Amino acid sequence: MKEQPIPERLQISPFLVFYMVMSIQIGIGVLGYQRIIAMDAGYDAWISILFAGGCIHVIIWMIYKICDTAGGDIVTAHKYVAGNFIGKALSAIFIGYFILFSLTVIRTFIEVIQVWMFPELSTFWFSFGFTILCVYIIFGGFRTVVGTAFFGLVLPAYLLLTFGWAIKFSNFYNLLPIWDHSIKELLTASYHMSLTFIGFEIIIFFYPFIKEPKKSQKWAHLAVLTTTLIYTILAIITFAYFSEDQLSRQIWASLTMWKIVEMPFVERFEYIGIANWNLVILPNVCISIWIASRLIKRVFNIRQKVGVFFVVAAVLSVISFLDTRIKINTLNNYVGKMGFAFTFIYIPLLFAAVMIAKKLKKGKKK
Amino acid sequence: MKKLILLCLVLLLSGCVEKEIIDDINIEVGVGYDLAEDPKDRYRGTVLFQEFQPDKSVINRTFSGSGKLRQDLLLEVTKQSSEPVVTGGLKVAVFGPEISRAGIYDLIDSFQRDASIGARVFVATSEGNAEDLMKGEYGTRGNSTYIYNLIHHNIEHRDIPKTNLHILANDYYQKGKDPSLPRIKKVSNNEVEIVGISLFKDDKEVDILPVKDMFFFKLLVDKYSEGNFDVELKKGKIAAVKSISSRHDIKISDNHASINIKIEGIIREYTGDELASEVVGAVQKNLEKKIEKECLRLLKQFQELGIDPIGLGQMKKSMQRDFDYKKWEDEYKRLGFDVKCNVKIEETGVIE
Repeated sequence: MKEQPIPERLQISPFLVFYMVMSIQIGIGVLGYQRIIAMDAGYDAWISILFAGGCIHVIIWMIYKICDTAGGDIVTAHKYVAGNFIGKALSAIFIGYFILFSLTVIRTFIEVIQVWMFPELSTFWFSFGFTILCVYIIFGGFRTVVGTAFFGLVLPAYLLLTFGWAIKFSNFYNLLPIWDHSIKELLTASYHMSLTFIGFEIIIFFYPFIKEPKKSQKWAHLAVLTTTLIYTILAIITFAYFSEDQLSRQIWASLTMWKIVEMPFVERFEYIGIANWNLVILPNVCISIWIASRLIKRVFNIRQKVGVFFVVAAVLSVISFLDTRIKINTLNNYVGKMGFAFTFIYIPLLFAAVMIAKKLKKGKKK
Repeated sequence: MKKLILLCLVLLLSGCVEKEIIDDINIEVGVGYDLAEDPKDRYRGTVLFQEFQPDKSVINRTFSGSGKLRQDLLLEVTKQSSEPVVTGGLKVAVFGPEISRAGIYDLIDSFQRDASIGARVFVATSEGNAEDLMKGEYGTRGNSTYIYNLIHHNIEHRDIPKTNLHILANDYYQKGKDPSLPRIKKVSNNEVEIVGISLFKDDKEVDILPVKDMFFFKLLVDKYSEGNFDVELKKGKIAAVKSISSRHDIKISDNHASINIKIEGIIREYTGDELASEVVGAVQKNLEKKIEKECLRLLKQFQELGIDPIGLGQMKKSMQRDFDYKKWEDEYKRLGFDVKCNVKIEETGVIE
């Protein structure tokens, strides 16, 4: 069975990978990652962000190598390594991963709305409306999803500037002395950055949709570099703004920092910020649902539209049961761990397997 | 068809959350807390609302209630108010004297937990009941705006160190630093004034700095300080110096802290005949001496009280790895100080 190549009219330009990667990385994690990493490595944790960001570049390089060698996405790579049946079984696992991913994003965002703005907001109906919008976007095809990613990144970009208000109340001495923590603590903090950083691995799923995929690699690296820098700068501002014990109490440190924003026409900036965050969340959910449904199509040979409905139904049927902070937190932790396992353990393994398979196949041809 | 579904959703889902229309709610703009007389309750709170009249005047309306928690107070107040009470517009919170001495942590925690309360709320202590203070009639723009502006411009241009809810919480949670708050007093039914700075150890008020020490206190605590100060010269002549900017630089060695203060100022008033350059020099000298003496006195006072509003502990921590705050508490008691001050008078006004 030979795979059909994706027709060119459905493909995207290489530079759009930049927006895809960045917009799925920046999501819910950025609202509160500072506390999680500061718990491990205190106010040295910004070093951990840089370190984690550095590691990701290696993974990106591996992803491109895998896709290039196997000549397609992860399903092709699985088949390349393990044959048709086992390959498909392996790929099916990731359907669950991306359903969980979209579930986490939607539910955590609703929690933010419920805690900060409207406690009486119905979880089910909001996610229902939100997923309908996502279905509508995904039915527009992959290029529409990419368009959403572009706007979901560019339009709310101004929010970064609003953290400038916090600088006026910051004390950068908080960060001193640098390197007050052991390497082990710094590495744990890097590990706990995973929920905030994961998402860049999506390249392995939409690789065949990129025009001249090799040209897109530099954009993927640039995207990861930009997110790393944004996270580091935001973490440094946060650490300077809060004292250490104070930060350990802030579940959403980034949102709490908006409380200091003062504008003549708006008393509480959080309301504008959180409402705008909808746009940041939208591509996150769209991309993960698209990938889940695409995998369903590739693995089970079902039409993608049917797959989309299946994914959305799965998300909606579970979401109402996640009703407390503890459950949501557990979900976040699990997805973070799964993301870590997938990106930093599974991808290197797959990379090794693909390289070995390539050697063996070459040997056979001779 | 798709568009129709979306349209229906927009119409249907808009009713999902509770609406709050600004004319139909009471916005809490100020609040005062005292210890309750009844031992069963803990707090007596006075909530201040502003009612805007059609002729643009403002009516101050206060409601009081008692309870164990801040939410009890709100409940109590809601029972008396004709409209629902919301807390999103809070600008000023005042703590009465007994409650400041008993500890304000619970209330600060409650403010922080409440997502609707901003970080720029001014927290102050009061001399006399906070309830009485809230019930005055200050200015024409409402009590809360009045008190807010009073504190605000005194931070910007006078002797109150930078403060707000965020800074209070930040200092409270910062190891090696203790918070301080401005202290206000109701003078008469339509006058309120600043009477000093409350110094805290953890969340309990332990001492009050009088107004005359506030200038020196701000020099030590805040990064930039503006403020007025009178310098006495020989023969009973007095010069008023206004500091336009100041910086402090603190160096801590093992058991010694040296503090360098740099001030750039201008002379605003002088009671002698001629403001010759010798006089300016004398003003500089006298001011330097005075600042060195007073700051040293304040530092000694803090040391005796065992409080650290300047954050020397935090500063020491930033220079030393594996810092031990327990050991620091002992070290702080034995710490020696010296204060060096450098005053530069830049201008003497438009006449000579």
